[in-house]
Amino acid sequence: MAPTNSLILLTVFLPLFGGVLSLLLWGRHKAQRYVGFAVGVVAWMASVGVLWMNWQDGIQIYRLGGWQPPFGIILVADMLSSLFVVMSTTVLMMGLLYAIGCNDKVVKHPTFTTLFLAMQTGLVGALYTGDLFTLFVFMELMVLSSVSLVAISDNRLGLEAAIKYLFISSMGTLFLLLGIAATYSAFGTLNFADIGQILASSERPFLAREAAIMLTAAFLLKSAVFPFHFWQPDFHTTAPTPVHAVLSSVVVKVGVYGLIRMTTLLFTSEIELEIIRTILLVLGTISIFFGSLGAFRTYDGKRMLAYSTFGQIGFILLGIGWGTPLALAAAFVYAFNHAFIKSALLMLFGVVSSRTENKTANLSEVGGVGHSLPAFVGVLYLLGGLSLAGVPPMNGFISKLGLVQSGIDAEMWLTLGLAVGAGILTLMYMTRTWQLVFQQQPTDSTAAVKSYNDNPLAPALLISACVALGLFAAPLVDFATATAEQIINAPIYIEAVLGTESSAISRR
Amino acid sequence: MNLVFAMTVGILFGLGVYQLLRRDLIKAAMGFALLFTAVNLLLLAVGAFDGTVPAYTDQTEQSSDPLVQALILTAIVVSFGSYALLLGLVNIVSTRFGTARTDDVNHLQN
Repeated sequence: MAPTNSLILLTVFLPLFGGVLSLLLWGRHKAQRYVGFAVGVVAWMASVGVLWMNWQDGIQIYRLGGWQPPFGIILVADMLSSLFVVMSTTVLMMGLLYAIGCNDKVVKHPTFTTLFLAMQTGLVGALYTGDLFTLFVFMELMVLSSVSLVAISDNRLGLEAAIKYLFISSMGTLFLLLGIAATYSAFGTLNFADIGQILASSERPFLAREAAIMLTAAFLLKSAVFPFHFWQPDFHTTAPTPVHAVLSSVVVKVGVYGLIRMTTLLFTSEIELEIIRTILLVLGTISIFFGSLGAFRTYDGKRMLAYSTFGQIGFILLGIGWGTPLALAAAFVYAFNHAFIKSALLMLFGVVSSRTENKTANLSEVGGVGHSLPAFVGVLYLLGGLSLAGVPPMNGFISKLGLVQSGIDAEMWLTLGLAVGAGILTLMYMTRTWQLVFQQQPTDSTAAVKSYNDNPLAPALLISACVALGLFAAPLVDFATATAEQIINAPIYIEAVLGTESSAISRR
Repeated sequence: MNLVFAMTVGILFGLGVYQLLRRDLIKAAMGFALLFTAVNLLLLAVGAFDGTVPAYTDQTEQSSDPLVQALILTAIVVSFGSYALLLGLVNIVSTRFGTARTDDVNHLQN
């Protein structure tokens, strides 16, 4: 039985507490945002602490109310959860830092910080939880708070996009609940470890395959993969910049996390695994294709980056679909690096668009805006773009390299060709926008605008993290490899959660 | 009892999907209320009919599963919350656009 660790509880529920605290400061938006950032920093330190303990002592758990699993709610921090949580808390912390230097009207809204921190609670809780139903509850918390954040956005289209997303996401929730019902009737439990144990020990129960399909649909919808992607560019583009950075980089990864859990722990028997992996490979390939082309031909900078996320999620799905330890490790590295790159680029585009006349990222209006910015912002944007395309000194190269390597091992030539082609397309649209924004001469209208002047500190920190992760990639790659080994070996997780004596517990 | 439940859930699903596909935001939102009710009934049907006595009162006979009822309570709260938020957003949209028809609320294009 793994050791109990209350840092996990701190990481999940401190943001909720901070959200309530910031509600008490109603009307003093500056103080609210500072409280939000302080909470983000503490939560980040707690999550790094959990990651460190994982590296030292193995899986950490927290039993809510002290109930013995599989009966109680349990928070489990294995290496996969810890890695994803550190990724999320880092980006969320930077989002809160960006909100301090941001001059949009929305960040002065009295509930902005509260909603943002509620989103953080939902996100981190969904990544740490050890059972399916708690995952559903945390995911709903995340969805509802992000919908509210987009609905109060400066962009007037935000309301419409929020309704669109709420409808589609509720459909996803419906599928998740159907999956939960099917899982419960098939296994009599909703605890991940318990389900894995039953699947490993006995013959396949009735409805197991249906449960697998429903859950796959729900997670694919949450992470905006090909047939379910149409809400994503609208919803993400209309969001306020700090929220957009979080949505496009880490919130979509919750679905990816769910898919990893499903293929490695919940449905490890051949029949379901084959179905899920085929679905992931096919849809991932189509997503790469559509995402890159969509990003190439769109008219708006933020929308371009949202489309690019849609393509990059496809790469991660390829890694999960191949399913070898190498491919899984590559997928983790890819997810981790992509979160940093994408959030940094989005914040930089937010900085740029805060200098335009109508505060848009429309490519016909951002030309030459970079001239009013300090020169290092252009360098940061170029570095981020190169990293996104996977050019050598940056961390994007490390993730692409790992994925291509595992693709060669799995002998998937078609998808590999697509991946390389998508990389070239990425390079093309990133350098094109860089030239447009930072090289072109400004027009008269952009030169004489009273601008909002967002602070580029947060993206600068994130880009330096990208450079550091590119130059010193070994720790992350080692950790991802160890994670993949732990994940492949499902009994480690099951034993850590249930203990060895649990097989004696009788069930109906 | 199972047959009655199966038919009710099926009919509610059909009605819900039909409402959801109509070209009016309020009717579509009501479709969601129906669909969530259907799913909650499905969850109830998963475990409610195994026993003959309530849980934790009389252990002489087979008791029905209390966990699904707890799940449904949570699911009702969550789905009610999202339904309320949805209706609130529809309300704002209808004051801003003067209509709740989906064909007219179409500023988000391509």
